[in-house]
Amino acid sequence: MPLESFKTSDALTLGVELELQLVSLSDHDLTPASPDLLDLLGRKPFPGNVVPEITESMIEVSTDIQTHHAGLLAQLREIRDVLVAGADRLNIGVAGGGTHPFQRWDERRIFAKPRFKQVSQLYGYLARQFTIFGQHVHVGVTSGNDALYLLHALNRYVPHFIALAASSPFVQGSDTLFSSARLNSVTAFPLSGRAPFVLSWQQFCDGYFAKMERTGVVTGMKDFYWDIRPKPEFGTIELRVCDTPLTVEVAAALAVYLQALAKYLLERREPPPLEDDYLVYNFNRFQACRFGFDGTLVHPQSYEHKLLRDDILDTLRRIQPQAESLGSAKALDELRGMVVTGSAAQSLRAEFARSGSVESVVEAALQAFRA
Amino acid sequence: MLETTTWAALAHLADMAWPLVLLLAWVLGELLNKAIDLPRISTYALLGFVAAPAQAGLLPVETPNWVLLAANAAFGLMLFEFGHRINLRWFAVNRWLLAVGLLESAVSFAAVAGVAWACGLSERAALLLGALSIATSPAAVMRVIDERRSAGQITERLVHLAGLNCMLSVLVFKALLGLMVFEHSGSLLAALHASSVMVGASVLLGLVFGAAALGLVALLARAGSDNTVLFALAVIVLVALTQTLQLSPIVAALSCGLMARHQRSVLRRSERGFGAFGDMLTVLLFVFIASRLDARPVVAGLALATVLVATRLLAKVGSVGLLARASGMSLKKGMLTGLAMAPLSAYAVLLLEQVQQAGIDVGPDLLAQLAPLASMTLVLDLLAPVLMVLALGWGRELQERGD
Repeated sequence: MPLESFKTSDALTLGVELELQLVSLSDHDLTPASPDLLDLLGRKPFPGNVVPEITESMIEVSTDIQTHHAGLLAQLREIRDVLVAGADRLNIGVAGGGTHPFQRWDERRIFAKPRFKQVSQLYGYLARQFTIFGQHVHVGVTSGNDALYLLHALNRYVPHFIALAASSPFVQGSDTLFSSARLNSVTAFPLSGRAPFVLSWQQFCDGYFAKMERTGVVTGMKDFYWDIRPKPEFGTIELRVCDTPLTVEVAAALAVYLQALAKYLLERREPPPLEDDYLVYNFNRFQACRFGFDGTLVHPQSYEHKLLRDDILDTLRRIQPQAESLGSAKALDELRGMVVTGSAAQSLRAEFARSGSVESVVEAALQAFRA
Repeated sequence: MLETTTWAALAHLADMAWPLVLLLAWVLGELLNKAIDLPRISTYALLGFVAAPAQAGLLPVETPNWVLLAANAAFGLMLFEFGHRINLRWFAVNRWLLAVGLLESAVSFAAVAGVAWACGLSERAALLLGALSIATSPAAVMRVIDERRSAGQITERLVHLAGLNCMLSVLVFKALLGLMVFEHSGSLLAALHASSVMVGASVLLGLVFGAAALGLVALLARAGSDNTVLFALAVIVLVALTQTLQLSPIVAALSCGLMARHQRSVLRRSERGFGAFGDMLTVLLFVFIASRLDARPVVAGLALATVLVATRLLAKVGSVGLLARASGMSLKKGMLTGLAMAPLSAYAVLLLEQVQQAGIDVGPDLLAQLAPLASMTLVLDLLAPVLMVLALGWGRELQERGD
């Protein structure tokens, strides 16, 4: 089945999806609570959308289509409050964070849904190791060509989002030394990475996608686990590199950072993306995952080496006018503050240094999410 | 010379009875678990009952001291772990859960006491049976949950409701006993007072031990490291102390666990059930408890016991089901929670022994009348773990094998 035509969206509309951790309040391990929680939440209308994820200790929430920071944040807060109130009634903790610090993948339970069971069969331990938690941000674009332009123009900014959202320093009970260890689990999947360098939607459909489909490897866009992927049925591109932040406030700020950046890039204020930009893509991505704000970025066209921290601050300054016109200047101030004071990964590490226990790290995440 | 050696060897053989029975119990537990998925503690209880001095006589009449010590330790450790899992705040956030617990306890008490009385037991015996029927065995609940790695609302509520009904059961039982002993001199209020003081003192002792152990953890700067051994030893001392002071080891160990909960690193997830050490004590505890039962009263009381077991189950299934929706779960899961609450606390038998040992005069006929309790204990020792596994399975809360 050929790829459906690209649905037109209002430019720069936003949608946010958050994958959240369900935690036992007895031992702070993940707990397979999504069936019970969904059952309870199903009794009342939910302010947004809530669905199961592949393992029963995850839950995914998403907002409606939003246009501005205020509306987005208000809905995310409402979602959080309903979720926390429901979880409280069932003695379940809800938390952000890209990984659970000490869960063991072999204890995860696959949600009873045919697609999840299939994926689990196909990928074996990878599926269960995929108990990781990300934030996905959709940005509306008016055409498929714009989608591909934006997708590739964003390539050099992907590390920004990785570093700003980084909240997965611990995996299976140990400090990984990464700021975002979560992305390492994504990389293990065969169709992960980046989209092929094609700038015309027509070419993308008739060329790349049609060929891939003929190989029998994919049946739709959902089979690609790319860092950014076009979503023709929504008329959006979807950024998938962010760890779920510890708070919905940061989640909203990250979304409007992407929105302002998209506006800036779609105004064609930078030289257009080139295939060779991707020569440094994996290096930059690794630097952001491993070192966070202290990572080194290589500019894909000037080859200038720069601290990620400085590049983020410069970019925030550059897109200030776009942010102001979208009403998100204040949210970007929060990100600026974070670049200075430290990421969630750093605060989780500090908690571990203080308490010496990974359980306390989970407790800190639980408290942060409620606040 | 040869003769002396033989006699000495034979004496040693008698010493070997307990270790051999334990080994046998463990092996059978593994075999039956593999073959027919029988929860291991059912097998241990069955073997304990068969090997008991009153039955096959494999075990000596005089229980060695080390067995008593280990059984008490096992009991204390399980209750400690149980208390460690209880989140008191949940009862405050979800008031309906508290309502479920109170209703379920009240209905179990009233139904069992009423039916026992209607079946011809004396008023006193009926009331005591009712009080003991309130409690769900924390030890059995803990072991089955750990063994099958179950998780979900049924599991979660099972732990919390069992914690609550054990406390209530001890409180009511001691109050009734006090009332019966001091019938001539005292009043209901005085009896309730004495029972509350006993339970309160047990709670306090448990909390103090928990806090002291936490203090030790801080002093040794061992936060974050595994403190399982420290807490295990503290609990064993605590249980011994409560027995000396005639307080409730159950309540004290539970409270100690509740206290320890505040330090997140007390029980590492790798040490759930106190690891291999806990597994070994479990074999001993369940063999030991069943070995105290005598087949004669068990058989004599079997008919009435069956009726009472059914009454108790109905009471729990009905009352937990009734408030299920209000407390945030489906009717089906509520009823399954009630079913999973089947295990009867082993402490029922122990409490009665205490009564006997303490020489409390409750009338010779009263103890005889409580014979159905032995039958109930045996029936539920074997059956309840199976019911629990079924309920948890129907509620999809078990880790599927190979999943």
